[in-house]
Amino acid sequence: MLTEALVIMFFVTGIQLMVPILLAALGETISERSGVLNVGIEGSMLIGALVSAIVGIKLDSVVLGLLLGSAAGVGTGIILAILYVARGIDQIVTGLLFNIFALGFTGLLHNRFIGGQVGPTLSPFHVPLVGDIPKVGEVLNRQNILFWITLILVFLVYYLLNRTWWGLYARAAGERPHAAESGGLNVNQLRYPAVILGNVFAAFGGAALVMSSAGGFVPGMTAGRGFIALGVVVVARWNPFLVLASASLFGLSQALQFIAGQLDFLDGVPDQVWLALPYVVTILAVLLSRGSQYPAAVGIPWRRAVAGRA
Amino acid sequence: MNTLLSLFITLVIVAVFILAIGANPWDAGRAIVEGSLTKKLFLGQTLMIASILALTGLAAALPFTSRLWNIGGEGQMFAGAIVAVSLGINLPEGTPKPLFIAVILVGSFIGGGFWGFIAGALKAWFGASEIVTTLMLSFIAIFIANYVIADVWPDPFSQKTVSIHDNAQLPEIWQSANVDISVIIAIVAAGLAWMLMRGTVLGFSIRAIGSNPNAARLAGMSTSRVTIITFFIAGGFAGLAGSVAVAGIFDDLDINFSSNFGFLGIAVALLARLNPPLIIPAAFLFAMLRVGSNSLQAAADISPTLGDILVAVFVILLMVTGAIRFRYAQNVTN
Repeated sequence: MLTEALVIMFFVTGIQLMVPILLAALGETISERSGVLNVGIEGSMLIGALVSAIVGIKLDSVVLGLLLGSAAGVGTGIILAILYVARGIDQIVTGLLFNIFALGFTGLLHNRFIGGQVGPTLSPFHVPLVGDIPKVGEVLNRQNILFWITLILVFLVYYLLNRTWWGLYARAAGERPHAAESGGLNVNQLRYPAVILGNVFAAFGGAALVMSSAGGFVPGMTAGRGFIALGVVVVARWNPFLVLASASLFGLSQALQFIAGQLDFLDGVPDQVWLALPYVVTILAVLLSRGSQYPAAVGIPWRRAVAGRA
Repeated sequence: MNTLLSLFITLVIVAVFILAIGANPWDAGRAIVEGSLTKKLFLGQTLMIASILALTGLAAALPFTSRLWNIGGEGQMFAGAIVAVSLGINLPEGTPKPLFIAVILVGSFIGGGFWGFIAGALKAWFGASEIVTTLMLSFIAIFIANYVIADVWPDPFSQKTVSIHDNAQLPEIWQSANVDISVIIAIVAAGLAWMLMRGTVLGFSIRAIGSNPNAARLAGMSTSRVTIITFFIAGGFAGLAGSVAVAGIFDDLDINFSSNFGFLGIAVALLARLNPPLIIPAAFLFAMLRVGSNSLQAAADISPTLGDILVAVFVILLMVTGAIRFRYAQNVTN
């Protein structure tokens, strides 16, 4: 039966599942706007998740887990920025290999240091006024503080990219690096912070995944969320507010698997259909956003020497 | 020279890492080599895994040459495996072995090829980023495999299907080491891929589009047709890897049969510089790391995923030191 409780449950879970994807997608938006396609966000998410789980378990602290988990993104960001920007090696291939590395690295550390242990997790966070709205309040009252932080980050990322000088310069580096350099900007110096910030967001997303669920780590637990985020960014046309909208679509499509079992009119449908649904939705969404164009210089390493010739 | 340098730096980095987590790098290294080569059965296992990695390596190498990022080898392999197990269970038991094997190999090639074709067609017709679609299709293929295992032909005792008929199992060529014709399949596939790339119009188009898509278009090549065919063939190779697993190694479809073989194929292709003949030694090296890593837990208390770390760090360093290079079409910015 499709009861009210079930519908509320659906939105509660859907929004919870949206948060990690949204964080990764916001990070990817910053990185791609500056001209760097970071396929390695999946790996950064995994490493952020692992670090936050280890810290959470060993120090029994959610806050430290989240902080150090996100800080792990600074580390992966610096490594990836050196590879993508300073060395200028192929971004797609490097990102893919980084994901293989992260899968092995987190699997090994998980196996050696925490295994199946679980740590503390976040409890729901009540916001006055909003929580009193009927129905909507019931959904929002059961979200933890990360949902609210992420919502604020959507505005901050929009402000950063569209209302600050750095944002304007970074977008120039992503669209017309030649023009940016002619205008006296240093393209690579703009891309470093964008890549690092993007990975911090992804690692924060991984940490959010841990702290909003069981507080433990499972090898490969991001399950392609980083790649879904790559799709989300395309669908959202690199606009943070549309990123919020499309990430919530994916969160909700993931939530369907948890309520489908309780709806009798869906009885004959195998579970795998619901499990596969978010991935199908990603493909369809990418298909429907045909006109969506990557920033012009995405994926191409910038070399100053080239500027002279062009 | 740069290759040796990369190998050296990789070993130093990984050794320091192993020391940092409180284990012994020397024990780890010895465990990998002994666990992959010293016993007949280990060597046999290495050869079989190398066959799978060579095929998934080809599945990455062909499209990568055209700068099409097929990262869905994993799913294409699962699609091939699903076809192989369906045929192996359901064709009449009395089917003569050569016919049975031929049907399974062709079927799994088409199965994997179809899965690749979807991504190629979505790219060619709708401009959908193949990085996103191939990976999403991989997850979907794995869920279909899950369904086949759980609901269609389930083995009552574990997470796999019932066994395929005896006549469907690939004939062995080295009985005492459990090595079958998969090794030959992989070598023949690499040979065919090499002939395709060097001796046919299609291969020329794939290379031309990879080095300069605009020039290739101006020369009258249809990029969308080449994209679709390339993805089909690449998926077919990965599909064959699936039949090696099902009809060669396991005799059933086991949900855990792949330890990221599809993804490791990408690393194999890169180490081989996307050159089909070099895929064979590259696949052997990474199969050694992979099979040898299984002994790590017992010998040095390190989990087998160390093999993946070694592979990834090594290939990234090969690119950093310039041992592997990619060319860029610089005109994209204007």
